[in-house]
Amino acid sequence: MISLLVLISALILDRLLGEPRVYHPLIGYGNFASFIEKIMNLCKGSRLIRRGIGVFALLVSTLPFLVIAIYLSSLHFLFDLLMLTLAIGWQSLREHGIDIRNALVSNDIPLARKNLRKVVSRDTAQLNETEICSASVESILENGNDAIFSAIFWFLIAGGPGVLLFRLVNTLDAMWGYKTSRYLHFGWAAARLDDVMNYIPARLTALSYYLTSLNYSALQCWSQQAKHWKSSNAGAVMASGAGSLNVKLGGIAYYNGKAEDRPMLGTSNLAKTSDIDAAINLISLSLKLWVATLIFIMGAQFYAGV
Amino acid sequence: MREYKPGKMLDHGGKLFNASQKFSIPVNEWLDLSTGINSESWPIGKIPASLFCRLPEEDDSLLPAAQSYYGVTNCLPIAGSQTAIQHLPHMRPSCNVAVISPGYEEHAFCWHYAGHKVYLISSEEIESILSNIDVLVIINPNNPTTERFSENQLCHWYDQLHKKKGWLIVDEAFMDITPDASVLKLSSNPGFIVLRSLGKFFGLAGIRVGFIFSDPAFLTKFSKGIGPWSISNPSRYIAIQALQDRAWQSKARNKLNKNAWKLFQLLNQANLSPHGRSDYFHWVVNKNSEEIFTHLAHQGILVRLFKEPLSLRFGLPSNKLEFERLENSLKHIKYLEKETSIA
Repeated sequence: MISLLVLISALILDRLLGEPRVYHPLIGYGNFASFIEKIMNLCKGSRLIRRGIGVFALLVSTLPFLVIAIYLSSLHFLFDLLMLTLAIGWQSLREHGIDIRNALVSNDIPLARKNLRKVVSRDTAQLNETEICSASVESILENGNDAIFSAIFWFLIAGGPGVLLFRLVNTLDAMWGYKTSRYLHFGWAAARLDDVMNYIPARLTALSYYLTSLNYSALQCWSQQAKHWKSSNAGAVMASGAGSLNVKLGGIAYYNGKAEDRPMLGTSNLAKTSDIDAAINLISLSLKLWVATLIFIMGAQFYAGV
Repeated sequence: MREYKPGKMLDHGGKLFNASQKFSIPVNEWLDLSTGINSESWPIGKIPASLFCRLPEEDDSLLPAAQSYYGVTNCLPIAGSQTAIQHLPHMRPSCNVAVISPGYEEHAFCWHYAGHKVYLISSEEIESILSNIDVLVIINPNNPTTERFSENQLCHWYDQLHKKKGWLIVDEAFMDITPDASVLKLSSNPGFIVLRSLGKFFGLAGIRVGFIFSDPAFLTKFSKGIGPWSISNPSRYIAIQALQDRAWQSKARNKLNKNAWKLFQLLNQANLSPHGRSDYFHWVVNKNSEEIFTHLAHQGILVRLFKEPLSLRFGLPSNKLEFERLENSLKHIKYLEKETSIA
């Protein structure tokens, strides 16, 4: 019961506070992680050794924080509320999406590219309107999992420490989980752990995208397209989301000037400005579905006297 | 590309009295969406009576207020950008002028009237015609197409025109909501002329205040040409306060952007996907434009009809009631089929 109240409070706090205008602790953690990588990633030795170092770096970067979190969480439930509020980025995701859409309504493409650049890592300087829309929708759908539903899932499983561990691993994966020669082995452990931690949440997210839209093509896209995506977790989330919204995502994108030919996701309709809002709505509806389901489960437990 | 030949009279938006007679609906019952002017204009307070009795003084705070709002100093207040549109053609001997089309028609008319050879061109034709012209008139963003031109494009065209002492004129009447896209910072270059006004964003079309930006020597010459006291004292008084009211400006930006989004969705739902959109109006190209115009007019909603290409311009409704009124009228249109092609 208390975890449900904490969750609802965290969602309300996130909505009220909006995107943190001041320093977010994850930025500090990002600096810490790149420092760890700099001193530990020697880029030499056999595959096994390099992976081993990666595992060690992963432990060094997570265990101490986890131990402190477990201790603080045992002191007061407010710590759990703090962790969850920091991990949830619902409002930030909404605001960034709306900023992009507003620039598109003003017909100011350079501004839309600039706003998009804040949420994606691909090159945005040459994108046309359709590409800006599809990149925004992709980012919203994927972050819906990482910054909302996965975080909530780990909070429900393991409280404040759970959501903290998930967020740290997710950050490490974003920093180390690349297939370049520098990161391939060193980042292996972080990438695998992130895959494991996201396995169930990603599928729950994909399922809730379908349930809130009741669009059968969500299931079709999920079953046919997700496996071709480079990560099956993100693939499930984005394919199901693209199907729900009836929109075409994926395809070629440029990262640091290099083209990456990504598989197609979704249906044949090109993304339009209104799809950005549709994606934001899909997230908000899914969130309501999660909260309603939890209330129902808690109610049933309470009634059954568990 | 075609040479400009003026019609009998230039037609502008906002002709409510005319529509009122034609469709027998009293003026005060109309929802006027025929202009791109912010309908919630900057709120004018009490104007001191003394202002009406004295001649305007040019060293009041209008110039500093404008310099601070626009972020550049090479600025000359004028009685609406129309003053510049009319006067600039008289500052050059007869030459070849290209004006973007479709666009605000006064530009072509005034250059033609002053004896220049005027060509109406589309944006794709600019590159190819550049070597044959001396003056290029761009409206950025354009009205009604809402097409925008980047700083790079404009710089490139300016360089080529400047080599032969030509001019680039950029009319930024609809730029206030997206100041980053403005080329005001380039306007101190000789032959680079930018026009702004308080008509659209501030919704103060009636006070006739605008600004011309160019190199200071050119502005001095321009100012001698139009003479003293061209802006009335009450207008200066209102303009100064509006330019300084940052709180209102930021509220108005958000409001217009929000309403533009609502109208965009509403038109999409009605199968009238805009070909051009902006924070002031949306532009719909549709072969049934005339029928839609008449249908809306019979219900007391005035939009702007363009014949070339056949299209409609929808200004922004400003409140819930107005949105609902437009939505209800659009529901009953029989001609709504998906249009995708554009001339």
